[in-house]
Amino acid sequence: MLTKDLVAASSKPLLLSILAGGESYGYEIIQKVRELSGGHIEWSDGMLYPVLHRLERDGLIDSEWKEADTGRERKYYFLSSDGRKAIKTERQQWLAVHNTLCKLWKIKPASI
Amino acid sequence: MENQTRFDLNAAIENWRQELAAQPNLASDDRRELETHLRDAIAGFQQRGLNDEESFWLARRRAGQPQQLGEEFVKAKPAKVWRERVFWMVLAGLVVNLWTNLVTCIPLHSWTSGFWGLLSAYAYLLLIYLPIVGSAIFLAKGQLNNHYDTLAAIGHSRWRFATIGIVSIVVTHGSQTLIEFINLNQRQILFPGMPHVISSQFLYRFCVNEFSYFGWPLMLVMLATWLMPMQYPKTPKRA
Repeated sequence: MLTKDLVAASSKPLLLSILAGGESYGYEIIQKVRELSGGHIEWSDGMLYPVLHRLERDGLIDSEWKEADTGRERKYYFLSSDGRKAIKTERQQWLAVHNTLCKLWKIKPASI
Repeated sequence: MENQTRFDLNAAIENWRQELAAQPNLASDDRRELETHLRDAIAGFQQRGLNDEESFWLARRRAGQPQQLGEEFVKAKPAKVWRERVFWMVLAGLVVNLWTNLVTCIPLHSWTSGFWGLLSAYAYLLLIYLPIVGSAIFLAKGQLNNHYDTLAAIGHSRWRFATIGIVSIVVTHGSQTLIEFINLNQRQILFPGMPHVISSQFLYRFCVNEFSYFGWPLMLVMLATWLMPMQYPKTPKRA
């Protein structure tokens, strides 16, 4: 399991990257993160929504209440144009950290 | 024999909603979003074969304690929470103002002295303050949550809210003005020796005075309309 600090730091690039694949809602995002990380990243509801709201306030994502298949309304989040730009920056920064660590640990780095 | 009670999922969700409603840091939109999440999580557990009770308690535990949720949410948008708090304060001020004016329309003030005068004064106080205090107690206990949908319907759009607010002002203050005008006429009939009360100058002052009474609640309606938390935000442009 990841530490609390790392979970908090990685939440922004993870959320932006998930939403780059299409609109999504809170429960689905949590499920996706759990599945992609093989259970290593476990987000709580209390942690997810404030981050989503902060990203929305910063203009990186937008939201919309829409009727779901169940007939109930759900709040869907999607990426804004600023969010798409932010992904590029996040990607460069995280890969820079990743590559540095790979060199230090003598593992083959991923390509940027 | 073991005594088992059937688990009511809707009642359990309603109780959870009431716990969330007691958190001052959670805006109505946040609570709505969390409830949707809880229902999704419950449906997810049910699909995995868990029963209603197990699904609810697991989903609730994953969601976290309402108090913790409130603390987390306030970090993201403290200004929005305060905006909603001020909205409810303004709305409460408006409702008290309208209710007070509506009660004064009841012709209890024909008794102005003696025992009946005292009784009518107490009756006024009870009529004005008892429903206000009662509503506040019910609200604090979460017993008005069932009427949330009605309130949400009023606040569906800013236009609807403003229209309902202005109509309420016209009805309550208009009735009061009409009664005061009738009382002036009655005084003239009862005391024919009195100087002509309803002169054009007096009528002008009366109208200006009455119009100024509309000003305060109208300002509250405008303020509440501006502060109103939007249930259905406009769809922003996608990237």
